[in-house]
Amino acid sequence: MDRTIYRELKLTPAVWSVATLLGAFIAAAAGSVLYIEHHGHIVTGMNNQIVWGLPHVFAIFLIVAASGALNVASIASVFGKIANKPMARFSGLLSLALLAGGLAVLVLDLGRPDRLIVAMTKYNFRSIFAWNIYLYTGFFVVVGAYLYVQMARSVSNKWVKTFGTAAFLWRLALTTGTGSIFGWLVARPGYDAAIMAPMFIVMSFSFGLAVFILVLCAFYSISGRDIGTNLIRRLGRLLGIFAGLVLYFTAVRHLTNLYAAEHGDVERFILFGGGIFTQLFWIGQVLIGGIIPLFLLFHHIDSPTKKYVLSGSALIIIGGFAQVYGIVVGGQAFPLEIFPGYEASSSFFDGQITGYSPSLLEMALGLGGVALALFIMGLGVVVLRIMPTNLSDANIDPSKPDF
Amino acid sequence: MTQLPSSTTRKLGLVIDLDTCVGCHACVISCKGWNTENYGAPLSDMDAYGGDPSGTFLNRVHTYEMQPEQGGAAQTVHFPKSCLHCEDAPCVTVCPTGASYKRVEDGIVLVNESNCIGCGLCAWSCPYGARELDRAEGVMKKCTLCVDRIYNENLPEVDRIPSCVRTCPAGARSFGDLGDPDSDVSQLVAARGGYDLMPELGTKPVNKYLPPRPKDTTDAIDILAPFLEPVAEEATGFIGWLDRALDALPASPKKGSN
Repeated sequence: MDRTIYRELKLTPAVWSVATLLGAFIAAAAGSVLYIEHHGHIVTGMNNQIVWGLPHVFAIFLIVAASGALNVASIASVFGKIANKPMARFSGLLSLALLAGGLAVLVLDLGRPDRLIVAMTKYNFRSIFAWNIYLYTGFFVVVGAYLYVQMARSVSNKWVKTFGTAAFLWRLALTTGTGSIFGWLVARPGYDAAIMAPMFIVMSFSFGLAVFILVLCAFYSISGRDIGTNLIRRLGRLLGIFAGLVLYFTAVRHLTNLYAAEHGDVERFILFGGGIFTQLFWIGQVLIGGIIPLFLLFHHIDSPTKKYVLSGSALIIIGGFAQVYGIVVGGQAFPLEIFPGYEASSSFFDGQITGYSPSLLEMALGLGGVALALFIMGLGVVVLRIMPTNLSDANIDPSKPDF
Repeated sequence: MTQLPSSTTRKLGLVIDLDTCVGCHACVISCKGWNTENYGAPLSDMDAYGGDPSGTFLNRVHTYEMQPEQGGAAQTVHFPKSCLHCEDAPCVTVCPTGASYKRVEDGIVLVNESNCIGCGLCAWSCPYGARELDRAEGVMKKCTLCVDRIYNENLPEVDRIPSCVRTCPAGARSFGDLGDPDSDVSQLVAARGGYDLMPELGTKPVNKYLPPRPKDTTDAIDILAPFLEPVAEEATGFIGWLDRALDALPASPKKGSN
């Protein structure tokens, strides 16, 4: 086993190509922001019923994944799994990059993104949204400090554990806050559930680790450095456990709602008669994002190839996106029940399922957030010593199983 | 921190008589007009003359059918709805910047548009769907109870009431202090059994609705029936002869075939 050496990523033609591609997505997002800012949100698919649309789905997914991307670092620093330590810097930087990408989408899709300074200077501490502003900015500070103490040569290892623990607790609080935005919305039958907060934590574990695995493999592939199959397989096994937990929490959430008469209609909508939302739930979330990845990650866990883990990770991301879309847009599409038991009609969509067709502008903005996160990550590994030169199994002691 | 006041000096609000409202939408139009001309930025319209017009309205009229519990004919009820200026307004507590607030002096819930970032969370939290994001301005808008009319000494005193109340041709809308038990609106609510919209949510809306009165039953419609009963089974006299003569004609259809 060699000593772990961290080195910057060299700027090869392949790196430049990827950076150019990401830059194109970011430029498209910037263009769409300017267009929406100039013309107003009327040019998007959002309306007074679907207030949060596709950009918010991207933003929330990225924010949730940011928290989960810290898994590997937390396991190393908090739970003392030494074999994960070489990846801890990568894990920390990726979590910061994903959060930056998600927040960029979120703030640029505000009705008035030019008033960001207002959001940062005026706080209503009874608002869960205001709490989240602190949780997000605090995450940058805490994880930034955690990254620093890992990289600084003069800092004692005990500080790494201290900051690692702080970052771990902070990310739990962050995801609790994100889930509580939905859980505390009593007015909407699709939300209003205490289980939202812990479910979002589990979602973050799953989505974040899936993103981590894919990004790690992609960066090592581009750089030409070694990464061990056993390492990926162990991460895949952990990912499978998280994916199973997401399914479990999802089942408990829906079963609880089905038990409560007041949520019965919205559950029937999501589970059986909601058209695209029902398809997203059963096909997108449960099948593609849950059952198939579980099969891939556990049935083929002893396979020498890592393609099953990578495929499972990709499917979990697709399923996770479907899940967030179903929560965010599906919950809004179901109408408010102002006149329970009556058939109402008006110019305000009473009793009607609200349609939503995301525009290309929204898609460009959302993908721009993903591209920005990857670009920041790429920039980070180019200028900082984040990536170990060798993550082969022989180098991280495969004789001691992790996790 | 934006706190909801524990109590307000007055509780200004609307009382809407569902028995009288005919669903003419005059209140919607006058609200739109007043607030477009006078309140901050105009309430924007999109594709106003096209095939799919939409826009921002602070007051909307919902319509639904109801079958009275005591029986009788089904009724169509028109239900004007705007911000209810709740005492425990969830839109105020969720606002991250404190742009939404409830005034201590009169209980009106307002949005400080300069501090609104257009995040939309208040629209989610309002169980009545009474908030609308002005998609041209990017900020949230809602009924102000025409705060720029009711205290406006440049207007004749008769006009110092919300625009919708001033306009309603049926007199279905009343405005006043619902915190004062002796006010006209409070007494109207007491006399007619006024109620809150969705009281189970605990938002304690200030605006009240007066329920529709029971309408005529189908039994009561039959007042003239005794005068319309037939006086004879068979026609007599000249009319009777004429009827029989016509029946006897060969081409005439058989009696009762029509």
